[in-house]
Amino acid sequence: MCGSCTNPFVQIYPRTPLDRIFDTKGDIEVIAGVSNKLADLLGESRMKEMWKDASGEGVHVYLQNIIDHSANLKGYHSKELEKKAQEGIPALVNSRTYPRYSSLEQARSEEKWHTKSGRLEFYRPEVEFIDSGENMLVYREPVDSTPYEPNVIVAKNHEAIRPKKPSDYGLRESDLSVENRQVRNVIKTGPALLNTQHPLRLKLHTHVYHTPKYRHGAHSTTVDTDYTSVWFGPFGDVYRHDKRMPSVVEGYMDINPLDAKALGVEDGDYVYVDADPEDRPYRGFKPTDDFYEVARLMLRARYYPGTPRGIARTWHNMYGSTIGSVQGQKIREDGLARSPETNYQSMYRYGSHQSATRAWLRPTLMTETLVHKGMFGQGIGKGFEADIHCPVGAPREAFVRITKAEQGGFENQKLWRPAALGFRPTYENPGMKTYLKGRFIHG
Amino acid sequence: MAKVKNWHLGRDMEYVYEENRPKRQWSIVFDLNKCIGCQTCSMACKTTWTSGKGQESMFWNNVETKPWGSYPLGWDVKVLEKLGHQEWKKHEPYRGKTIFEAAEPTETTVHFFPTDEDWMYPNNGEDDCTGNVSHGTHLNLPHDQWFFYLPRTCAHCTYPACLAACPRKAIYKRPEDGIVLIDQSRCKGYGECVRSCPYKKSMYNPYTRTSEKCIGCYPAVEQGYQPMCVQNCIGKIRVMGFINPPWKARKDNPVDYLVHQMGLALPYYPQLGLEPNIYYIPPIHANREYLTQMFGPKVDDAIKQYKKIKDDPRTQGLLVLLGSTDRIMHSFDVKHGVAYGYDEKGDEIVSVPVIEHSYERPRYDSKYEAVRNNTP
Ligand code: SF4
Ligand code: SF4
Ligand code: SF4
Repeated sequence: MCGSCTNPFVQIYPRTPLDRIFDTKGDIEVIAGVSNKLADLLGESRMKEMWKDASGEGVHVYLQNIIDHSANLKGYHSKELEKKAQEGIPALVNSRTYPRYSSLEQARSEEKWHTKSGRLEFYRPEVEFIDSGENMLVYREPVDSTPYEPNVIVAKNHEAIRPKKPSDYGLRESDLSVENRQVRNVIKTGPALLNTQHPLRLKLHTHVYHTPKYRHGAHSTTVDTDYTSVWFGPFGDVYRHDKRMPSVVEGYMDINPLDAKALGVEDGDYVYVDADPEDRPYRGFKPTDDFYEVARLMLRARYYPGTPRGIARTWHNMYGSTIGSVQGQKIREDGLARSPETNYQSMYRYGSHQSATRAWLRPTLMTETLVHKGMFGQGIGKGFEADIHCPVGAPREAFVRITKAEQGGFENQKLWRPAALGFRPTYENPGMKTYLKGRFIHG
Repeated sequence: MAKVKNWHLGRDMEYVYEENRPKRQWSIVFDLNKCIGCQTCSMACKTTWTSGKGQESMFWNNVETKPWGSYPLGWDVKVLEKLGHQEWKKHEPYRGKTIFEAAEPTETTVHFFPTDEDWMYPNNGEDDCTGNVSHGTHLNLPHDQWFFYLPRTCAHCTYPACLAACPRKAIYKRPEDGIVLIDQSRCKGYGECVRSCPYKKSMYNPYTRTSEKCIGCYPAVEQGYQPMCVQNCIGKIRVMGFINPPWKARKDNPVDYLVHQMGLALPYYPQLGLEPNIYYIPPIHANREYLTQMFGPKVDDAIKQYKKIKDDPRTQGLLVLLGSTDRIMHSFDVKHGVAYGYDEKGDEIVSVPVIEHSYERPRYDSKYEAVRNNTP
């Protein structure tokens, strides 16, 4: 059964008449299996009872239970929903309105907001927020992904913004080390901020590197089969003409062509991407470690005129390297980055987009005092709640140094083929230039 | 060479065979303003037709980002370059040469053969915009920097270059629906069709050693269903139907309406002279010279028409029928805010409200004892 509060439909996947191709199990079968085993081990028969209907027609017992306890599904019968789904007819989630406007009841003052006062609150009196200078709405620079001094509260002096300073925690104000900069409270105005530098700029780091989710995939769906993954970005080649390719597709970083040229990087070249060496790719690494090459990110650079200068991007959804995938690349005849032991297939030769990023533990995301809506239902929760009040920070961003690793062309070709032939931005051949201007037809 | 009528060009042209229009002509219209480049269509075709040996890099349906994307590499740049600069004035017949007319005396068409390497990187150029985005950039119409997605199938051309070039006459155009097929038992894999099709929609299979191409999903079409790439389109940007030439156009035929009645949908690269039967509602944000090169000088009028749709419930109705039924619509109507699609016999197969209504449910449903809530 599939439904969510943002999707107007609830649908039960109709049962397939086909046998399973592999020995796979549904979630409920896994839970039931574990529970059965525990029942035996513990001599607790209720653990078996609980899941006794978990296979075949019996699953409807559990589905119906979910429906009966869901405000917006109550009234449906799971068997009917399955029958309808077989005919391709979905059912509507019966939220208050169709389509659903979020917080309609609160906006109309029928119900209270999920806050302490029941009203929208724009001041946070909790001590953690006052100590962080976030009791009022303020803007903070990111902890890492900025060319300027990180994590600065950008504001004019205001009597109500009185955060604890670095010295209050026994730190020097100039301490911008990787752990301390995430909790540092320093206030600067916008113009003053623009005169500052990220400490890594001294180490030739130049780019904010962000790793958002791919626009056409949820989780790994875009790389689960070869036929979908060859469409993931511009480097997919089902025949792997270039045997360096880890898979039929490979990870890449979008970078503004002018930036790349300044770094001596051509379109399609392989580059290393290094974030703060204090803790990435991992704490205490030594370049001579065996594991260092597994963890350090190397991927293709792709000229992308749509990203502003100073910003680089890698989509989030490709499988990263493991010790096994790097080993596979070295010992397999076909050179695939596939673990000889497990067959795990990486889409990177070395490292992954996550080599450069980490979680930032901002105090105001980890309080025990903030109240908020509970995960389910209309109740009020307090403190930690997954996906609601917990560190989210900016785990997908970093400030990085980019250096050329290998040339993009293969078999004695220096340049990546589409660039060499003049079909890429800044490499246009004469025909391409005419074509871009639309000059092959004239009036 | 025979003289044939090509209404895309507004003039007669030379073709290898006599004009022989099918009883009806398979056709797809795409609204490029709505394509999101998701490649669901490419996967629908791939998983249905080309998962076999030798077909690994074959995508009969592909979607490329224009202007940087191309599959195979640089196909349209190369064809236009071979054909050279040509003239086409607004509201006038095409003055330039087609690929048949510009061919060397011993050849059928102006052509090139893509190499094996040209077929790798099917999504080369994805999302690349025309030029550098700098700080302070904002949106205008048309956009300063732009790109759009171009989904492509075989165009089941009225004057197919693939068919014209085949020395074994292995390619034929079906009289009942205009679908162009390669007879696999006759094909010897010379690749003349691959070389000559300017759209590069005939592809060589090194395993079977024959050429293969989009079959228009004829088994579905024969049963009154739209092709897989149309049925599965997430953006609901496509409709497959049967197009009539302008002198036989019917106002209630969805394809005729969009192409002939409204002038909203245009053939792509009509100057090549094949009378291709896939039609595009051009993207209004892209550069006009580029669009003219791709869709001909009628593009200005098509965009003007497009901007009027907001005041035109009938066209709105037809556009909401796109992607609302798997069946082939032979006619449509829009009455009292509802759009209807009909099959060949005139029976209703689908109805859709032109404007989607909002509903509000009672806060407490006493029948089911349920509280309905918008913030669950
Ligand atoms: S698009 Fe190409 S392959 Fe298809 S009918 Fe036309 S010439 Fe032939
Ligand atoms: S019409 Fe059928 S065969 Fe042709 S591209 Fe679409 S899905 Fe593929
Ligand atoms: S499925 Fe539709 S929206 Fe998606 S790429 Fe294909 S034509 Fe475009």
